[in-house]
Amino acid sequence: MIIEAYLTLLRESPQIPTAATIAERAGYSVRSVFERFPDLHALRVAATDYAFTQGTAQAVARDFSGDRLTRLKSHVETRSWICEQWLPLWRALNANQGDSSELKSRINLIRQAILKRIELMYEAELATLGATERLQTLIAIESLIDFESWARMREFSGMSIEEAREVWVKSIDRLLPPTPVS
Amino acid sequence: MSQRPTAHDLTSTVSITTASRPARIDGRRLRSERTKQLIIEAYLALLRENPMTPMPTAARIAERAGYSVRSIFERFPDLNKLRAAAADYQLAQAAALAPPRNIDGDRKTRIKSQVETRAGTCERGVALWRVLIFSIDQDEDLKPRVKTARERTIERMEIMYRPELSTLSERDRKHLLIALEAITDIESWARMRELYGLSFEEACGVWVRAIDRMLPQTPST
Repeated sequence: MIIEAYLTLLRESPQIPTAATIAERAGYSVRSVFERFPDLHALRVAATDYAFTQGTAQAVARDFSGDRLTRLKSHVETRSWICEQWLPLWRALNANQGDSSELKSRINLIRQAILKRIELMYEAELATLGATERLQTLIAIESLIDFESWARMREFSGMSIEEAREVWVKSIDRLLPPTPVS
Repeated sequence: MSQRPTAHDLTSTVSITTASRPARIDGRRLRSERTKQLIIEAYLALLRENPMTPMPTAARIAERAGYSVRSIFERFPDLNKLRAAAADYQLAQAAALAPPRNIDGDRKTRIKSQVETRAGTCERGVALWRVLIFSIDQDEDLKPRVKTARERTIERMEIMYRPELSTLSERDRKHLLIALEAITDIESWARMRELYGLSFEEACGVWVRAIDRMLPQTPST
């Protein structure tokens, strides 16, 4: 409940919530918050782990054996959905990482999961590239589908979810080499 | 890359209000602008040295600049205003140090030129950029500055890739520019350098390849 209250508050406002607002939202006392989490940093770490587990369950890889367009659409739909859901937490995570090795390791874990998903979805195309070109392509796609890239399309450019997805689908399609004939 | 803006560039940078008025040499004003500039540079130097401290104390900034704390607050009402002035300074510096080059070159030359210029801007600007992004929700003054920075990146790509972009519909052109801006974001640069450990040249190589793949065919003249 406390973690969910923290996540809800983050979604409602970009301001980092205080222990008092978290407790109020969860319906507990501030003391209850600190009985379960020694400090707000521990709560942030726990919330990140909770979100990672949730996100992994929500973002099961689908259609990875489909044709190129099916894989592109499936990957972009899943990734954009995660961005819509978890952008506030991602921002809070980055804003609060400071010199916390725990939060930094979680940020790296999330990035690794994003890369692994790209590798899984576009295995056929990536297999045709040499090591350097493969890495270059992975890095470019990972930059393209970053949380903040999604946020800019939605908040700054005022795009609908569908239009923003279209940008990603077309761009990944251009970045990938031709699909080998099986 | 190490070229610095001229004294004229800098004085016109730190005070936007004075920039639009006819110039009249005023020694005291010039000295005051110079002090502002040194305070901003001290703030930026501290940020680069310790990115984990997004807002060093006024005492630290004053010490680094060689002025008193009072001097800082005589020129900036609070540290948030100093941060906003640093953003203006960095934007002006990026414009002064990175004019568009090779805009009439062939495709390869233009991509290489744009990437190297952008990479230099990212390399110099990442520390402040992170502070701006992480503070943007707490400081309304930062929003237009971040917006301007992004618009300038897109404007530059419009100049550099005009022949290729002219072959696209308005919608496709907008989509492509948004994608290129995402790929060449400052954080994208920082990840290549910090997370992947790529050299400056290797990281430029990633962007050159990506942009070349993203752009449509260059029309024959």
